[in-house]
Amino acid sequence: MHLRVSHITKRFGSAAAVDDVSFDVPKGSFATLLGPSGCGKTTTLRMIAGFYEPDAGDIEIGGRRVNDLPAHRRGTAMVFQDYALFPHMTVYDNVAYGLRVAGRPRPERDKRVNDTLTFVGLGGMGGRWPNQLSGGQQQRVAVARALVIEPQVLLLDEPLSNLDAKLREQLRVELRILQRRLGMTFVYVTHDQDEALSLSDWIAVMNAGKVEQAGTPWEIYYHPRTAFLADFVGAVNLVPARVESVGDGSVTVSFGPHRASVRRPVDVSLSTGQEVRLCMRPESFTIAPAGASANGLALSGTIARRAFLGDTMRYWVKVDDREWIVDQPDPGATETLDGAVLLSLRPERVHVIAES
Amino acid sequence: MRSLRREPALLLALLAVIALVLVFIVYPQVQVVVAPGSGGYASFLEGGTWVTPFVHSLEVMALSTTSAVLLGFVYAYAMVYSDMRWKPFFRLIGILPLLSPPFVVAASYILLFGPRGIITYGVFGQTPIIFGLLGIWGVQTIAFFPFAYQLIADALSRSDARMEQAARNLGAGPWRVFRTVTLPLSRPGLGAAILTTAIYIVEDFGNPQLIGGQFTVLPTQAYNLISGFGEFTSAAAVSTLLLLIALALYLAKIRLDGGRSFVTISGRASSMPRPPVPAVLSWACFSGSLVLAGVILMVYGTLLVSALTVLFPINLAPTARHFTFVVTGSNGDALRNTLVFSSVAALVSAIFALFAGWLVQRGDWPGRRVLDFLLILPAAIPGIFFGIGYLTAFNQPWLDWVDRGALIILSMVFWNIPVGYQAAVAGLRQIDRSIDEAATSLGASRLRGFWDVVRPLLGGSLRVGFVTTFVRAVTTLSVVIFLFTPATTVATIRIYQLVNDLNWGGATAFTVADISMAIAALVIFAALARGRLALGMARG
Ligand SMILES: Nc1ncnc2c1ncn2[C@@H]1O[C@H](COP(=O)(O)OP(=O)(O)OP(=O)(O)O)[C@@H](O)[C@H]1O
Ligand SMILES: [Mg+2]
Repeated sequence: MHLRVSHITKRFGSAAAVDDVSFDVPKGSFATLLGPSGCGKTTTLRMIAGFYEPDAGDIEIGGRRVNDLPAHRRGTAMVFQDYALFPHMTVYDNVAYGLRVAGRPRPERDKRVNDTLTFVGLGGMGGRWPNQLSGGQQQRVAVARALVIEPQVLLLDEPLSNLDAKLREQLRVELRILQRRLGMTFVYVTHDQDEALSLSDWIAVMNAGKVEQAGTPWEIYYHPRTAFLADFVGAVNLVPARVESVGDGSVTVSFGPHRASVRRPVDVSLSTGQEVRLCMRPESFTIAPAGASANGLALSGTIARRAFLGDTMRYWVKVDDREWIVDQPDPGATETLDGAVLLSLRPERVHVIAES
Repeated sequence: MRSLRREPALLLALLAVIALVLVFIVYPQVQVVVAPGSGGYASFLEGGTWVTPFVHSLEVMALSTTSAVLLGFVYAYAMVYSDMRWKPFFRLIGILPLLSPPFVVAASYILLFGPRGIITYGVFGQTPIIFGLLGIWGVQTIAFFPFAYQLIADALSRSDARMEQAARNLGAGPWRVFRTVTLPLSRPGLGAAILTTAIYIVEDFGNPQLIGGQFTVLPTQAYNLISGFGEFTSAAAVSTLLLLIALALYLAKIRLDGGRSFVTISGRASSMPRPPVPAVLSWACFSGSLVLAGVILMVYGTLLVSALTVLFPINLAPTARHFTFVVTGSNGDALRNTLVFSSVAALVSAIFALFAGWLVQRGDWPGRRVLDFLLILPAAIPGIFFGIGYLTAFNQPWLDWVDRGALIILSMVFWNIPVGYQAAVAGLRQIDRSIDEAATSLGASRLRGFWDVVRPLLGGSLRVGFVTTFVRAVTTLSVVIFLFTPATTVATIRIYQLVNDLNWGGATAFTVADISMAIAALVIFAALARGRLALGMARG
């Protein structure tokens, strides 16, 4: 593993900001720490960078334990949320700083700085001062400044959060392309699940100082292990249910008057009679006027509310005593529904969370 | 702490700073405090000779602080709140006393009101007794109200003008707004200003020494015991008593404002606009300020005229002979010493304070609160005490190889550490920690990051520290009065000696030369600050 974090803990006073966190990041991958505000993401990142001292645990980079190395010898570089550009240096000098510190000869420095500036789309802007740049340009300088020293691991702490939505989306794509092209290892911190899902090879979702679950964006989105996680990474229907029988690879659950045989989650033990929750994403349903033919699990209800979100129409449908969230894609292609409707869902889209 | 162990260079630098602070701030003071020993203190307290100067000191402090603060308040209110005219003029006049040794007010006072004073004798034909309590009271009021003005104006202008606007919009009159909004909001700042003024006054040595006569206060008592009788033990006890008073005031002040305010010379722009005050109040402010500015001008005008005339006030024929006297021979050396000692001290002090401020503000090692306290402690140490401390600790035979000039420089460096230190800490608060960390994460050691990134960004703090320290160094008498030798005399010492010799022409010319140095430093500072402003605009 390129970056290995094992059992690190950091306490401020008596409260643990990071509590026994472990994860591995392979070389060249884009790893993200995702979680709500205050869950310990920044603290974890700063321990990797060497700005905080873990109270317990080890950090290894490239197979070498770095706990005892000062921040400037770790081969990490950090991109800060507020960019932290040096205001008294030009863009060129900002980007050249790391190479100057490393004592690189002038011709090499010039070439690498100019290449990197071009690479991030700031060719010819080396002479500007940071306060002459837009937020997005400053952000690119911050990335260029960190990239140019070719760190073993690039650490990014919410680097896009100060930008407007449009620019954020654009830079998100650029960052991902950049990382792929360079094959550099990125550890990225964000509280924005869209950002995490779209950027990452791998996500660790943190909550209250612990890693709740780590895996690919796909796993995190469709197979969350806890209700917190399911809720945190997007809209979800979490329905209490009971295990009726456990089969090989499948499990039969009941909720209200309904029964369904669904996929059995791996790595989780379930027993008959156990209270669980079913996790179903709004876009997994199909919604049709009452009387249509069902496909898989069928639930009939009435529409309570709806919201037009542009790319989808979101309905809140009352089934028995619960409101279900259901998304209908491409609302312009069909007419808006009202009154009694039929929801249907293929059983393999139902995910069981062994937590009541 | 562990992060320090990983960077030995940083750890060494920190240890060096701690060692210097221990040797040059803690050790000399401890020497003075323990010098009398418990037996010494017992007989000192029983002897009772301390009671009179102690009571005198408190009397003078209470009277002079009250009057100085009242006058300072009038001037500050006028400057901050009224829209009177001539504000730039009043601002300049208000700075002048900060650039001069406070005890020259006493000299001017003698010239004006002394037995042969131009007003008392020249106008009224009287030779009154002007020495004693009334004289000290009057002189210290005039000498220190400009300091009170600076501190109070600072406290008042910190109050948020928007709140006052809001109160005015709700229908409150100007006086009511001032009473119910401004005063409560600026109360801690005002309290701190009063306490700081009280410290300046109770520590003042030059004025009571020149016009106190038989009326001794603690600083003059300490000086007389040493220089007159060689009674070192009693002097140490007396100055320890003085230190206790100053320290009590200082701790009270820290409780109020967290140790912020200091009369520093900064290029701060004028404050936010305030709600308008009635025209009549503006006129009252203008008249009051005019009178006070007139007093200041009279004090310094007298010195200037005396410096330029043959024998003030008897022979007013213009002459340059006093200035010739001042720049030649040992006097010229004294002037040069002042310039060299003060420049070196200001430079070293400002840089050391900046570095120490960075270590404390950005550090995560245990004990940084203690270092923080030690670095602002000299602000509470009376100059006379500091001087006695250096005398005790370093005026030793085994240190004879050390140049006495170096000792004077060291005393100026460390007595003024709080100035640069507070400027540095205030500056560092404006710079996000992530700027330091960015340098570190790009491969620079923390020391390198300090040098490449923090130091250039704190140029403003460095300049404030340098100029204020320089001015305090060229104007201090009490710190150096025990440390000078014939070869290392400085201007303030010479002024003091010449006043005692009743060589008024020489004394006043020396004063003018001394103040000119301070003014020159300030002008250069202002020019540099403006240069930076212009540069900033070109970049922005
Ligand atoms: N220097 C510090 N001193 C004391 N407590 C701290 C410090 N830094 C962080 N904490 C606490 O540790 C916890 C985790 O903080 P951290 O900054 O790691 O959160 P985060 O996940 O980055 O949150 P955000 O998304 O808001 O940036 C918080 O409760 C925070 O208050
Ligand atoms: Mg954070």
